Amino acid sequence: MMSAFLCDRLANGAAALAQYGGGIAPVTAPDADPFDSGMWELHRLEYLGDPPDWRADPRMRVLTPRNAEDASHVPIMIDATGLTDPVTRIVVTIDYSPLPLALIFHPGRALPLLGFGVKYEIAGPIRATALADGVPARMGGAFIDAMGGGCSAPAVAHTRPDWQQGFGEMRGRLFPDSGRLRVNIRHPMDTGLADGIPAHHLTDLQLLDAQGATIARIELRHPVEENPTLTFALPPDLASGPVRIEARDSNGYRFSGEVRA
Amino acid sequence: MITRRTALLTGTAALLTPLAARATDPGYHLKPAEIADGVWLIEGAQDSFAPANGGAICNIVMLRTDQGAVVIDSGGTALHGAALRGFADQRLGGVAATLNTHHHPDHWFGNQAFADRPILALPATRDLQAQNAQALSEGLYRILGGWMRGTAPLPAATAVTDDSMVIGGRDLRLLALSGHSQADLALLDPTTGTLIAGDLLFLDRAPSFPDADLGAWRGALDRLAAIPASGIVPGHGPFMRDSRAFAQTRAYLDAFQDRLGRAADLGLAPAETLAAGPMPEFAGLGANPEEYHRAVVQRWRDFEDMALPLIGGTA
Repeated sequence: MMSAFLCDRLANGAAALAQYGGGIAPVTAPDADPFDSGMWELHRLEYLGDPPDWRADPRMRVLTPRNAEDASHVPIMIDATGLTDPVTRIVVTIDYSPLPLALIFHPGRALPLLGFGVKYEIAGPIRATALADGVPARMGGAFIDAMGGGCSAPAVAHTRPDWQQGFGEMRGRLFPDSGRLRVNIRHPMDTGLADGIPAHHLTDLQLLDAQGATIARIELRHPVEENPTLTFALPPDLASGPVRIEARDSNGYRFSGEVRA
Repeated sequence: MITRRTALLTGTAALLTPLAARATDPGYHLKPAEIADGVWLIEGAQDSFAPANGGAICNIVMLRTDQGAVVIDSGGTALHGAALRGFADQRLGGVAATLNTHHHPDHWFGNQAFADRPILALPATRDLQAQNAQALSEGLYRILGGWMRGTAPLPAATAVTDDSMVIGGRDLRLLALSGHSQADLALLDPTTGTLIAGDLLFLDRAPSFPDADLGAWRGALDRLAAIPASGIVPGHGPFMRDSRAFAQTRAYLDAFQDRLGRAADLGLAPAETLAAGPMPEFAGLGANPEEYHRAVVQRWRDFEDMALPLIGGTA
């Protein structure tokens, strides 16, 4: 199946990806939940605006590890470039997370592809649903086994007395030949579930072009990993940069940086 | 709210059923082999922790002395430890002392069966055993189910250093190293020239990297390789009289570093790097691709930090 994943840049990576899968298997009844989970109906209502028409779609690729080896950092990658219908936003939900809404991605002029990491509290499906006016909601996902503790464990940063040092530091790079843009922000991403540590997390991140116009935007929520790294894919006209990255958090801090080709 | 609770209960039930079904035959069938005079090897399965192997995945070595066996690593569960203790009691006149090479659970969760005799480890290993016992134990109960029955991890009580020592009349050379974990103990049995490398060496089984420092690991291999040995016992994989385990472990570290460094430098995300699978030349090793998948998650940040320059901060 076609994808914008770059696994094929590594030796034997294309064959390994084909074997690994990523997303749901082809479905016979597209409006049946392939994970048969009680949360899906509730989350459609609560986080997706109760779309009148939805389907499980194997073209909505979701790459994840099968097990949450590190419950604080579970790498996820979503690729909606195989969909033929438009995509205005992608909503990521985690079925059994105490805070199920992970993020909302507005791809805008970027490709509908996003890499990120989440905390995982309880084994279950993670879902990415592509939404746009006038077309059915298209859901892809993957089941991740987990032992828990990802959301209710304190950020590693708090175990160090100097955790504020380096706070907000932004690292990033534009990879012009593939159009990839990767950005990392040092932030504790506190869920508010760890004892005695109030919620404090990034809420919004934008990519801006040289004229200051928005390329893409993400609304970030509690389940996103500590010190998050985001992976975007830009079309050729934007891949030559420069691209400005601006973010803000729930305590009013602002963060910014710029990448050039 | 009812919907959510019902769903949670259903999810829990679905997880528990296979665990109960797995706990059928918690019996360890050891196949000890005398690989040199008075040196016994009980080889582990070349695989990851799984119900099929009961956690008996690492190599256990026993050295015969006048006062019983020197036991190097104690197994992955209390029952595994008890089976190993049974062999030492029946064939080697009991136990003189036990050593834990490092703090990964397959090497010391059998300590309970040896608690009446000294249990030795490097100081940092003892600390890491104490700090991680609970989390490691929870993970293994979940994977191994009934095999873990009665296992209450017991950290080593006595600290050892980089030195020579005599246990039960048998000379032993202890080497305090690191790289596979924060503290790795290797041993040379000068009587036979057997090098017991712990998890600094793997053979025909993919190395595991949860606490790896690749630079330190290479340094440890250099030091071990300088020791003239008549035979080598890796932490996982077969005993060999040649240096294959050195060549293969070094090549794996290099290839892994190369693959992840390349991925980070091309703009790949960790989920893609994971799904791209292990280095083709090592895809067929025992415990792969699972061990490679774990290693990508465990080590990704080391490579990402190098690939992404500082571009900004708080505005």
